[in-house]
Amino acid sequence: MVESMDIAYGEITQLEELIDRDSLREVCRSFFELFGLSIRVLSSRGVLLASVHEERSVCQYVNTLSHGRVACSHTVTQAQLRTPEGGETVVHPCFTGAIYHIVPIIYDQRQLGRIIIGPFLPADVTSVPESLLKVDPKIDPEKARLTLAEMPRVREQTAVRIGAHLRGVLDLILFSGHKAQLTSTMHLATVRENYRELGEKNTRLQEAFDKLKELDRLKSNFLATVSHELRTPLTSIIGYSEMLEAGIAGELSTEQAGFVETIRSKGELLLQLISSLLDLNKLERGQLRLNTELIDPRALVSEIRETLLPEAEKRKIKLDALWSDDVPMIQADPVRLRQIITNLASNALKFTPNRGQVQITARLAELHLADNDNDDLDDGLGAALMMAPERAVEIAVNDNGIGMEQSELPKIFDAFYQVDGSSTREYGGAGLGLSIAKSLVEAHHGKIRVESELGQGTTFYVVLPETQPDSAAG
Amino acid sequence: MQVDFQARELTIKLVYYGPALSGKTTNLQAIHRLLTPEGRGRLMTLETRDDRTLFFDLLPLTVNTESGLTVRIKLFTVPGQVIHNSTRRLVLQGADGVAFIADSQVNEVRANQAAYKDLRKNLRENGIEPSSMPVVIQYNKRDLPNIRSDEEIERMASMGHERTYLATATHGTGVMETFMGLIEAAWENLEQQHSLDQRFGLRAEHVLQNLSERISEAVEVADHG
Repeated sequence: MVESMDIAYGEITQLEELIDRDSLREVCRSFFELFGLSIRVLSSRGVLLASVHEERSVCQYVNTLSHGRVACSHTVTQAQLRTPEGGETVVHPCFTGAIYHIVPIIYDQRQLGRIIIGPFLPADVTSVPESLLKVDPKIDPEKARLTLAEMPRVREQTAVRIGAHLRGVLDLILFSGHKAQLTSTMHLATVRENYRELGEKNTRLQEAFDKLKELDRLKSNFLATVSHELRTPLTSIIGYSEMLEAGIAGELSTEQAGFVETIRSKGELLLQLISSLLDLNKLERGQLRLNTELIDPRALVSEIRETLLPEAEKRKIKLDALWSDDVPMIQADPVRLRQIITNLASNALKFTPNRGQVQITARLAELHLADNDNDDLDDGLGAALMMAPERAVEIAVNDNGIGMEQSELPKIFDAFYQVDGSSTREYGGAGLGLSIAKSLVEAHHGKIRVESELGQGTTFYVVLPETQPDSAAG
Repeated sequence: MQVDFQARELTIKLVYYGPALSGKTTNLQAIHRLLTPEGRGRLMTLETRDDRTLFFDLLPLTVNTESGLTVRIKLFTVPGQVIHNSTRRLVLQGADGVAFIADSQVNEVRANQAAYKDLRKNLRENGIEPSSMPVVIQYNKRDLPNIRSDEEIERMASMGHERTYLATATHGTGVMETFMGLIEAAWENLEQQHSLDQRFGLRAEHVLQNLSERISEAVEVADHG
């Protein structure tokens, strides 16, 4: 058998699935009020879906008689059981002389139910039929005649037209119901299908993601191994060139000393790069431990200025370290913090033309959780809790150098990223410094950001909390 | 195909596929207009406000055959817009034949090809090998300028397997030919699989004859977007 609701063929087979019984009852009631005829609607399974009827006087009278009651009940039952064949209306007689019209409900060429109209008296019935007078021995012919006269009279043709009209109205209701049902079924099926499709796509994405994660892990391992293997011979190269420079293997000519100096300094540069790679690798794997202690940011910026001063003076760059008196001591890893600020300041020097200006400043600041975790605060919920600031120190490195395009700014903290990625670029570097600085700042639960304008200069801000959430944390 | 022995009914499903705005709904509207009301159901259109098909259109037809079996034909269209792919796949489920409605305009070639690839992909995803699905092709909108010429279409059609028809669905021309061709193509396949002639004494010509007797005089179909 056909399923009751099948998307594949869009069919319906049961009237009760489509019909809203309350609406149907309303339609039947309006017909009843219009024509004064009782109406019952049954599905093909015999389920009574709507019934609006009034017990006629003759029926009431007959039901007071024992034989009459049996006959009446039999007639009504038979009328309800009769199924019209071949789409034609069936006329079902009653012993009172009244009749019922049983109209088939056909939708999409299928009979889904029937409408029972009646009982009513055909217009051509003029006398009290024998069948009524003989239904019960106690029947009063005069009373039978009087009550029968109250039965609504309808001409055959009118009854047919009423049936056809009701059938048309029902057909429209069925069509609308069918359409609504198909729409909602399709809607659900489409949502389910889209969900399934998305699920499959997600699985594929997850697989690709897992593969990439595995590749990333392999890359990290590779970097760690290679860095280690590179560092060992490099230490020898640097060590031996230092010994040569020191004259341990005999006096060197000026030219020889120059060559050895180049070997040593380039070797150190290479060592620095390898150390950076190792740092990055450790940071990515969360293996870097911070050794925090209380440090004075003012002393730190001053020391860094001292270290970089020779390089700045060589290029006539004005290098200043400034701080306000309220800068508090902070808990941080002194080696790593120095690494961060030195890196930013060296960068500033690198990208500032001769006779330019670089400033390192430290001041008391505030750090908001919102600065680090925007997702949680987008909607403003819980702001009274989440916006509570933490005391912090902001160390800013400002230059009036070449600056950067706004579009570059979101990418500069990515590992290996170079603003000028061309092979002929003017400024050297592996593109690791800022990435490492960012990771180190974040390891301190701090925040790093940049402001820059092309041709005007750049300022990096590092904001570090006064205390670390867990003093032993790394 | 679905057989209900109790009701002595055989139901077949035919799907009108093709790119957006190629005239799938217009084809069904034309069939609805061209057939006499007897045995023709209401055309149900599940469309959005801007006349674009949202889920599908459905036109049910009934053919009483000499064999005593009633053949119920369900004509569906799919929504052509790319985003409704899952709906297309759902509507395509259980199809016994496909009429591919192509747009004749020269600049619609890519849209036609993309929709045809989409049909093949969706058939495969429904577990149907595209070569096993009876397909007829209709080049619609023959009344527009900048269309592929009849000769060109004939030459291309001769290289393929599918029956190909020319139509102007807005005027109702070529629509019944495509529909009859689709029934024939679908029937050949159903006959091979289910031996309808042997089992039920049911042949394509019974259905085609009945339908062709029901075609009323050509009526101009109102322009549909």
